[in-house]
Amino acid sequence: MLIREARLRAGLSQGELSERSGKDRAQIARWERDVVQPSFETLRELVRACGLDLAPALVPYDVDEEGETRLREKLLRSPQDRLQAMLEERRR
Amino acid sequence: MPPATEPEFDPMGIFKALDRARVTFIVIGGLARVLQGTDELTNGVDIVPAMREENLRRLDVALGELNARRRDGKKTLAVGDVDVLDLETDLGELKIVPEPAGTRGYDDLRRAASREHLGSGVRVAIASVGDLARMTATLGREQDEPALRMLHRVAELDRSIGHGLEL
Repeated sequence: MLIREARLRAGLSQGELSERSGKDRAQIARWERDVVQPSFETLRELVRACGLDLAPALVPYDVDEEGETRLREKLLRSPQDRLQAMLEERRR
Repeated sequence: MPPATEPEFDPMGIFKALDRARVTFIVIGGLARVLQGTDELTNGVDIVPAMREENLRRLDVALGELNARRRDGKKTLAVGDVDVLDLETDLGELKIVPEPAGTRGYDDLRRAASREHLGSGVRVAIASVGDLARMTATLGREQDEPALRMLHRVAELDRSIGHGLEL
């Protein structure tokens, strides 16, 4: 998501980012679609090729156990089931 | 004259009307997030239509069938005259968004969209988790932050599934 956002903010096509960064255009497309994840170093190279930089920071990580469980359960369902569950919940 | 009571939200009815008119579109917004797995409630259907002339004519037919009327009271239903065509229909809210925030519209979103069965023979194209996060982040609304966090988590869990890990 960050690569695409950086590229669009820089007004670059995938081909232009490929030229600037020296990375394969098809690989950039896969990273942007979240099919595979680049390493942190590669991510930073790509973002810098867009004229931006990453500023990693440590922030508190509060796990919402209940929300996490619901999310995992929903992901095991089909989109059809997710829709029906949401509509049933609305009716309650 | 709008109905005195809120219509029962029937997204399947809206999708069926769009399907009957053979409208090409992608579902975005809260309903798309729900279909992708987020845990939230939503009251309407948001779509990005293909902006080809023929498709807009088909959309017009579907809007007629749904008795769509603008929530701001204006009469015209022309797509493209406004950033978001915000409609009330007999089956609930319907927003038509030719170019959602942070995207270049239908052709931009369709590459990563997936087509999913929703039952009763209805199959719709749903924007990808990544594109939904991009749109939500671009809007920058505080009320969308929980949804954005869920989308990021859905993306992480999806990748776990893709790598064969247990949820």
